[in-house]
Amino acid sequence: MALINVASHEIHCKIVYYGTGFCGKTTNLQYIHSHAPRQSHGELLTIATESERTLFFDFLPLDLGTVNDFRVRFHLYTVPGQILYERTRLAVLNGVDGIVFVVDSQPEKLEENFQSLIELETNMRRLGNDLGDFPLVFQWNKRDVAGAVPVATLDRYLNRRRKQTFEAAAITGDGVFPTLRTICKNVMTRL
Amino acid sequence: MGSIGNMGNMGMENLTNIVVSEGELGNITRVLGRLTLDTGATHVLLLDKSGQLIATQGPAGQRDIIALGALLAGAFASSRHVAEILGERDFRSILQQGVNESIYTSLVGEQWLLVIVFDKQTHIGLVKVLARKATEELERVLERVRVGGRQAKEQVVNVQFRSSVENTIDLLFQD
Repeated sequence: MALINVASHEIHCKIVYYGTGFCGKTTNLQYIHSHAPRQSHGELLTIATESERTLFFDFLPLDLGTVNDFRVRFHLYTVPGQILYERTRLAVLNGVDGIVFVVDSQPEKLEENFQSLIELETNMRRLGNDLGDFPLVFQWNKRDVAGAVPVATLDRYLNRRRKQTFEAAAITGDGVFPTLRTICKNVMTRL
Repeated sequence: MGSIGNMGNMGMENLTNIVVSEGELGNITRVLGRLTLDTGATHVLLLDKSGQLIATQGPAGQRDIIALGALLAGAFASSRHVAEILGERDFRSILQQGVNESIYTSLVGEQWLLVIVFDKQTHIGLVKVLARKATEELERVLERVRVGGRQAKEQVVNVQFRSSVENTIDLLFQD
């Protein structure tokens, strides 16, 4: 739920990176944190277990500065990917304005990706949203891994809504910023 | 997304945003200011359920308020799911107690969170009572914000604004 504060001249939007465990959601945020201009972001906040897996969420505030007299901020969140944390994912989705669905391109993960997408659809319905007209982009991540599932296959199985897609290798940063730019713009369009 | 998002087919675009006008922010600031004074709180925040900060009272720059807002909203959302699992109808407030400071967070009209950060000089009973009073006032503001939001939004978000934001996004987030 975007917040437009006319009095303090601020607009806040919330973007959530969703997907299975180890698909690269946190890696996306880490890359953005280390490569976006310093003045455009705050600190990356991570709530992780000792084994460095996301426990609750990661949080990265982006600040676009003042545009036409309004301060525009995007708050990026990740959800914990492990199946165990379904309720936590629902909690993080509260008030979301845009979603990046990060897909692990390894063949053995295809089914898990599919299940995660179904769960996302269910969670969004519980929050009163239909993914059909909601700002959502897919990131086909880990394209650098040998034996990655062909993009056409991922598209056929996961992207029946024909949303925009991006090939990525978040670990090297490939595709990270194109994904971010597009979801931010999609959110603005719907504002 | 709470009650606004659940309102169904009434034109999704506008109902997914909360627009706070200048006058209403003044009302909110007055309520928070009085609450700060009456409770002796170190900080009082009004958050959207999504974790975004609407207004704050307390010393500026002392704390990372934006991160605090995201974490408290997350903790609150999480506690509501705990309530569901326990079969409780709802947890409408949570109290986090520290040695020196404590935080009381309560729900305002299913959409906002009122957060009061207070030290050991303030009794929790007082915080709860005054939070309830402030909540009633804030609920009235929220109701007006819901009704008046559309017009206020159209003054801000127009084609030119969207295009400027898109240019800024392209400029900042380059490979």
